[in-house]
Amino acid sequence: MSYTDVEFMICQAARLLEDNKTVFVGWGMPQVVALLAERLYTPNITQVFEFGAIGPQSRTPFLRGTMGGPQNTYRSLQWCSMGLAFSYAQAGYIDYGMLGAAQIDKYGNINSTMIGDDYERPKVRFPGSGGGNEVASYCWKTIIVMNHEKRRFVERCDFVTSPGHVMDGKTREEYGLPKGTGPWRVITSKAMFDFDEETKVMRLIAVREGLSVDDVVNDMGFRPVIADDIKVLEPPTEEELRILRDEIDPYRLVIGK
Amino acid sequence: MEILEKGDAEFYFMDPDDFREYVRDRKNRNWEDKLMDESEAVRKFVDDGDYLAYDFSSLTRGPQSLIREIIRQRKKHLWICAKFTLLESVLLAGAGCVDRIDVGFLGFGPYIARKVQNGEVKVYDWSNGSITYRLIAGAMGIPFIPARDLLGTDTFKKSGALAVEDPFTGKPVALMPALNPDVAIIHVQEADIYGNARVYGPTVATLETAMASKKVIISAERIVETIEFRKEPNMTIIPYYLVDAVVHAPFGAYPGGTQGYYEMDSEHYLMLSSIREEEDMQRYLEEYIYSVDSHEEFLEKRIGVRKLKELVRKAQILEGYR
Repeated sequence: MSYTDVEFMICQAARLLEDNKTVFVGWGMPQVVALLAERLYTPNITQVFEFGAIGPQSRTPFLRGTMGGPQNTYRSLQWCSMGLAFSYAQAGYIDYGMLGAAQIDKYGNINSTMIGDDYERPKVRFPGSGGGNEVASYCWKTIIVMNHEKRRFVERCDFVTSPGHVMDGKTREEYGLPKGTGPWRVITSKAMFDFDEETKVMRLIAVREGLSVDDVVNDMGFRPVIADDIKVLEPPTEEELRILRDEIDPYRLVIGK
Repeated sequence: MEILEKGDAEFYFMDPDDFREYVRDRKNRNWEDKLMDESEAVRKFVDDGDYLAYDFSSLTRGPQSLIREIIRQRKKHLWICAKFTLLESVLLAGAGCVDRIDVGFLGFGPYIARKVQNGEVKVYDWSNGSITYRLIAGAMGIPFIPARDLLGTDTFKKSGALAVEDPFTGKPVALMPALNPDVAIIHVQEADIYGNARVYGPTVATLETAMASKKVIISAERIVETIEFRKEPNMTIIPYYLVDAVVHAPFGAYPGGTQGYYEMDSEHYLMLSSIREEEDMQRYLEEYIYSVDSHEEFLEKRIGVRKLKELVRKAQILEGYR
């Protein structure tokens, strides 16, 4: 069965989440990941949204653009403020965070702000942090999901919007970020990475079925650590694709065509 | 306390004692009828050069009739707080109302991106959380608030935050300066004529924004009797003495939705968010804002009862919203 790159990434991410945990969910693809996980793997996961929805049982089909509206906040456990939602995370209550990125570097710093050398006159300007900085700062384990393109994997991000493990020679703990947090997995359209315990450099741990390590690494702007045992990422199952296509995103707003 | 690192951005700031004096002398504690229309409220309470904050988003319960009125009155040199926003910043920038934007989330699309790239608007990068914490500090009447976000990023360097050694743990911590906007505009489901207000659904920073701001305009889908608040005091989000003006604005969040009342107009929203060129933006502003005199005329002549009826029909989920 054929599938899109986005479907591939969504399924990998959904399989990583654990049941009976909390997850901070950002806009767009992470919402779809959380919905799929809830349907198939983690029925008791509690989703947390920055605008102040805790534990909704979101209605499907997923409608892009109605983030704080009735569909996505249906049957929440709590409606609260943004200050409180982020404080849950800052106080350590949120296990997982999920983010996208325009650029990432080898320590997992991510850029969602701008491309170019001149901050005042960017070549490309993106929306900025949103709540991404808080997710990456506070959640125990942050999962980053992004398309695998050479230009997105860089030695140093043009702008570090949200923190990885090490920036400009200092560790996140040295900067004052909460202990024991940080990017945990990076899922791309070609591979999955974690971070080397010692050096905190991104480490390739699995590749998409049919791809070699070289296929993955040649499409990166830096050299990751390569794990001794490289696993193969199982493609989306028929059940995952059926639920994604028939129930969650029938208009294919996120999963693509 | 040793300053370890300092962001280099200018930031809007008011000494808490100055804010307190403003509150003492200018915030109206009289039980008086503050009902007025958008035009009067914006004329009285939004000035050129103001720092403007708004609550929730352009998708949900955003104060869009007030945003349009600010544009209609061609306010200038605003500095806006885009903490969780999508299209307000795009429209205000398109209309030339805005010079500076504190960014949590800048807003969508190539149009606003180009305004930044050309240097037509200046952005200061914060994050949704740090801006919210700044408003909380402003609402608490304290000069700053410590937090553990922004650290170890370029976002920090381009913000107005400081990193210091925390005297309790000895670890670095970020300090966010309090934010006390000149004016806040907030759309709610229900308010009385005095400004008591409540919202249903998630709140983002409804209370913090109102409490921290010098002038507050509330727009409401429905005006209710004060007894409604006394019957369910847990539900009161904003007490009347924070509020300067109350605008009765049915469909006030259009093209966004308001929970329990109507859904967002996805088509209009998509049309607006796909605007790229300056002339298309100016055509939009002319057609939907400048060429009508009021929110009522906008609804009547540009949107129409048929469309509004459709959006009301779509809003079938009521749990939690009444």
